[in-house]
Amino acid sequence: MKPLNTFLLIAPAALLMLGVFLVPFLLLAVLSLWTLKPGTLSLDTSLTLANYARLFGDTYYLGSLWTTLWMSAVTTLACLILGLPLAQWIVRRAGRARGLLIGLVIIPMVCGALLPTLGLVNLLGPLGVVNGALKSFGLITSSLPLLGRPIGVIVGLVQAFLPLMVLPLITSVERIPLDYEQAAMSLGARRVTVWRRVLLPLMLPGIAAGGLLVFCASLTAFVTPQILGQGKVVTFASLAFQQASRVLDWPFASALAMVMLALLLVVAGLGAAVARFARRQA
Amino acid sequence: MKARPADLAWLITVILVLAFLLAPIAVLVFSAFDAGNIFRFPPRAYSLRWFEAAFASAEYRRSLWVSTVLAFVSTIAAVTLASLAAYGLVRGRPVYRRAVEVLLLAPLTLPLVVWAIALLSIYASIGINGTPLGLILAHITITLPLAARIMIATISQIDPTYEEAAESLGATPARVFLRVTLPLAMPGIFASSAIAFLVSFNDVVVSTFIAGASWLTFPVRVFSQLRSEGIDPTTIAIGAMIVFATLLVVAIGERLLKLSRRL
Repeated sequence: MKPLNTFLLIAPAALLMLGVFLVPFLLLAVLSLWTLKPGTLSLDTSLTLANYARLFGDTYYLGSLWTTLWMSAVTTLACLILGLPLAQWIVRRAGRARGLLIGLVIIPMVCGALLPTLGLVNLLGPLGVVNGALKSFGLITSSLPLLGRPIGVIVGLVQAFLPLMVLPLITSVERIPLDYEQAAMSLGARRVTVWRRVLLPLMLPGIAAGGLLVFCASLTAFVTPQILGQGKVVTFASLAFQQASRVLDWPFASALAMVMLALLLVVAGLGAAVARFARRQA
Repeated sequence: MKARPADLAWLITVILVLAFLLAPIAVLVFSAFDAGNIFRFPPRAYSLRWFEAAFASAEYRRSLWVSTVLAFVSTIAAVTLASLAAYGLVRGRPVYRRAVEVLLLAPLTLPLVVWAIALLSIYASIGINGTPLGLILAHITITLPLAARIMIATISQIDPTYEEAAESLGATPARVFLRVTLPLAMPGIFASSAIAFLVSFNDVVVSTFIAGASWLTFPVRVFSQLRSEGIDPTTIAIGAMIVFATLLVVAIGERLLKLSRRL
């Protein structure tokens, strides 16, 4: 193929992504250094770190950042604990049901953020399935407050992002030859030992990749926390959403977004380091 | 293989995890059949009245129509652009291939919320916020990376010998593409269209930021309503139908195209 033709085939898609995706990110960095003129919605374009000073000087914003971080960490851990047995089962034991099971796993991904969250409101709400079932068994008399609490938000995040953990895990388990396990077993290792000494180290790249995806997705989630947190659990992304589309303070929203981006880069760096470490061990 | 207690415990764990994963969607569908104005468990009575209300509501029909048109246009644009780029990248093997791939796939790893905030301020300053053009551009941008990933994999798997054979028999490059490459790439094109359509139709994150007053997609309408007024059972019934349609697409895609293997 002629180089010019190749270029012409690629150009439309590349230009679109450059203009509509990449350029906004660059503008975000600039915008976060601007401010709103007090009492107006017009921009003061002199460069200042005022937005960042406001963010890091206010315990409300810092508290929300802390809430977001620990909820993301708990979500990631929960996804790992739930994802490991599921991924290993799908690869090693599912047989012909495998396609069906993978199909079930990706359903929350293609349904978007909203519909499962609607279901969760009816699952966890005061009159919902969990409380209704517990009441009819006589285990509780008044409803457990699950919505508007971190626990409800975490359940929603785990449900939404579990597929992001399971898919990389499936890929990494698939790469482990069955012989490794059988060899370890034939040498007399117990199943727990085989899992801990043979399988777990080989799954580390998948765990790092999945963990990274889940953590980053939780860190920036705003639909699930907004609905299940009912305004009482304020995550960093929902703060940014409020500032951008309700308060219309775009410079401050941009600063919040830049902080999220910086956090993600740090986490991604850590994830890459873990993956490199795992490869060297393997 | 003989069953052991450990295997049984493993199987039960797997079933519980899957139940947890699918519980919200199952509850959504179940609660659509509750006759009451507010869902309660166990329901006092069951009925189809919310489905009737869903079909009767002009307001929801309009937002569903917006969602459908938007998803349709974005899917066609994204899959076309992604397929052309994938063909150029795989067959042309330009020196800048790696850089373009990173650019095309970037939205899969960078957070959409951060991008949406940036996009909102740019859209507002050039005056296309809340317009169909703004929405379509945004939706092409979120669906193109998914299509590009599938199409790059698809075209890489097509043996170039077929194309070379057609060429040596005198077919023009355009004819080779239309008669040889395109038919062979069809499974990938169908798979990426299905995924792109579902993602665009169900998107709430990006659309909520840039939605105006007149072009509201169904998820945006439900989301803003949820935060202000709580759940309207009619939206639950519509949600249940959307879930059903989504399941159908995924099931057919899985059966015919091994959809999950291409993600």
